[in-house]
Amino acid sequence: MRNLIRKIDGKKLLFFLSIMGPGFITANVDNDAAGITTYSVAGSHYGYALLWSFIPMVFLLIIVQEMVARLGVVTGKGLSDLIREEYGVKTTVFVMAALLLTNLGTCAAEFAGLAASLEIFGVSRYVTVPIACAVIWFLVVRGSYRTVEKVFLGACIIYFSYILSGFMAKPDWGDVARHTVYPTFYMNAAFIGLLIGMVGTTVSPWMQFYQQASIVEKQVRIEDYTYVRWDVILGCLMASTVAFFIVVACGATLHAGNILIHTAEDAAMALTPLAGGFANILFAIGLTNASLFAATILPLSTTFTICEGMGWEAGVNKTFQEAPQFMGLYTGLIILSGGFILVPGAPLITIMLVSQVINGILLPFVLIFILLLVNKRRLMGSYVNGRLSNGIAWGAVVVLILLSGALIVDVIRQVLA
Amino acid sequence: MISDDIYLSEILDRPLLDRKGNVIGKIKDMNVVPGDTFPVVEGIYIRGPEGLFRILMKDINVLNKKFVTTYEEAGAVAHMEPQEKEIRIAEHIMDKQVVDVNGAKVVRVNDVQLGQVRDQFGLLAIDVGFGGLIRRLGFGRAKRGALIPWHYLKPLEPGLDRLTLTITRRSLVDMHPVDMAEIVSQLSVQERSDLLSTFDKETTGEIIHELDEETRANIIKQMKPEEAADVLEAMNPDEAADILGDLPDKKAEEIIGLMDKEEAEEVIELLEHDEDTAGGLMTTEYVSFPPDMTAEEVMQELRLIAPDIEMIYYLYVVDNREHLEGVLSLKDLILANPRARLDTLMKRNAKKIHVNADRKEAAEMVSKYNLMAVPVVDDQDILQGIITVDDIVDFLLPTPLRKRR
Repeated sequence: MRNLIRKIDGKKLLFFLSIMGPGFITANVDNDAAGITTYSVAGSHYGYALLWSFIPMVFLLIIVQEMVARLGVVTGKGLSDLIREEYGVKTTVFVMAALLLTNLGTCAAEFAGLAASLEIFGVSRYVTVPIACAVIWFLVVRGSYRTVEKVFLGACIIYFSYILSGFMAKPDWGDVARHTVYPTFYMNAAFIGLLIGMVGTTVSPWMQFYQQASIVEKQVRIEDYTYVRWDVILGCLMASTVAFFIVVACGATLHAGNILIHTAEDAAMALTPLAGGFANILFAIGLTNASLFAATILPLSTTFTICEGMGWEAGVNKTFQEAPQFMGLYTGLIILSGGFILVPGAPLITIMLVSQVINGILLPFVLIFILLLVNKRRLMGSYVNGRLSNGIAWGAVVVLILLSGALIVDVIRQVLA
Repeated sequence: MISDDIYLSEILDRPLLDRKGNVIGKIKDMNVVPGDTFPVVEGIYIRGPEGLFRILMKDINVLNKKFVTTYEEAGAVAHMEPQEKEIRIAEHIMDKQVVDVNGAKVVRVNDVQLGQVRDQFGLLAIDVGFGGLIRRLGFGRAKRGALIPWHYLKPLEPGLDRLTLTITRRSLVDMHPVDMAEIVSQLSVQERSDLLSTFDKETTGEIIHELDEETRANIIKQMKPEEAADVLEAMNPDEAADILGDLPDKKAEEIIGLMDKEEAEEVIELLEHDEDTAGGLMTTEYVSFPPDMTAEEVMQELRLIAPDIEMIYYLYVVDNREHLEGVLSLKDLILANPRARLDTLMKRNAKKIHVNADRKEAAEMVSKYNLMAVPVVDDQDILQGIITVDDIVDFLLPTPLRKRR
């Protein structure tokens, strides 16, 4: 009897492993170069003061990613598919254009991360960025990126060094706990902007499109939805834990040492408690991996999303003639975002931060579509949203729009003054 | 008065007028029922000040890009909500995904082409192209989209989620000229020339050749003379001559004047013959060799010239004044001793037909002797051309496409 139970559990575990992936990968790509930078800046500038934001953010992240996972499993369609089919061409073009611009910024941020991390070793960005663009383009078009994806995913284990470093920096845990529970809020553009950037990088709009598409691709049956839900929840928890400790580590080292982040080298010091003199190297490897991982997935995912919404032929095995929009967009995204970083004097850290703020501004609008779709009984049947998810998500939409509004008002006020 | 063809996006949200010119409401959707060959529009859904109602297609007076009017009066129109099992174009077909027969995601329905064929107004094709997208976005009347004719889609069912092609996407791209011609013949004049302009001139020639006489003459007339000359050059001379024969003399002369000299001469020669005679049916593309060449030499020569020639199964042996002396088949040539001269290999009493003979005679000869082609000669027995079996089949058994018109 006991043997039987073990057997079934073993099978279930194996089955879980075969279904898991989309949620886990999405969550790990979420800690991309722009994410690491945003969390580092938050920790170094405000210490633990922004830690409280993680509690609502984790809830929001899990709820949002669970909703799109459910949309994907129940309808068998991607998010852009659904927007097009339910809201028509004009709305789709508008949403896709906004997503394209936002993702272009994030792609540029990934190349900025790559440039920044290798500049620690003194390698010029004029060498790294063009090579990376070419390698990524060929990797994806030649279709071998699935293997590489696993390598990137494995290398994400480097992020755990932040958790270790966070502990070894011996932060004042009472302080950390207090800031995690009691919110701090400053009414100025810099603080609000960073807060929006934190939300934008933790719950980026591209993640919803990407995760739903990957789940559709896996063709999970609705009976197995429980496994998908756990994949999503575990992925979100893991990514958020790492993010939380990036802020703690930076708070305990950089903020305590009154260091503000201007270059990647400054950010690397957060790993000193763990790696000592090798902190630079560890940080550079982690950031390179994060940048390349996201830079491989993001342009491709963006292109697929847009082509699906617009009804253009898509596929990496197609030629320019067969799928002109697909290949054009994909190539254009890589060249543009890479080229942006090569503009002399392009401020890498700022690019990464600003791109995430834009993500945070776009997020509520994407959320509105997700919420409308996931509440349509015609599409979802009995799998429509519950009250709790609806309440939290609509609350987040309102709060995010208010924050974006406050940021814009404050920026305008400063410009006028 | 219902327009021949129109895109759904061109009438959606347009006002529907009653017979006095009062606005009844805005056009929101159309429902379709299965028809003989394509789904037929049964009624139009209108949103007026008092909600949604439907007008049957038979009560529609005018429907075109500028106006949609009904015989009914505003007050007399019955209110009606869409039914559960109905198939509506805007709701159920527009924006849906089109998957190919293997279930692979392909493209999306950007617009729907409606039109009137034999008293029935219905859904002719879906537009999956960029043009359709632009048209939907309202940036003026965009050019032709990429149309997929209705009969390449599986039948509609209520509650349908996506449209399925009955063929693979690739076979749609590599469609046979005969099938393409069928599509072309269903399009409007403007769309026709837009569609043809996307093919190279060889393909255009093949497609045009498959159309009925009236349509192809119209298409050539609408082309720029230079373009028409290029397309005709790419065709076989007998086909080109057929088409030019249907054009007004002045137009035909203008086009011939722009053609390559050699091609033009062949075509002129063919045009001189009456359409009902052997000369009117023949092509001037054939292979002929002098009697003193060896089999080996002929093989070498044949390799060079054969790619441009439709029919190489018979080799005609002619003297230096082009008198027909004999004929041998490609099989004879391949089996022959490489050093053997043609005059030792050929059959001397070749079946032949006079250029002025009735074309029925040519058909009888081909049928009686099981020939792939028959040579055409003049009074002096000089070889003028050949009539191939497919030219004969074409006139004996017109393709369904031609017959239908």
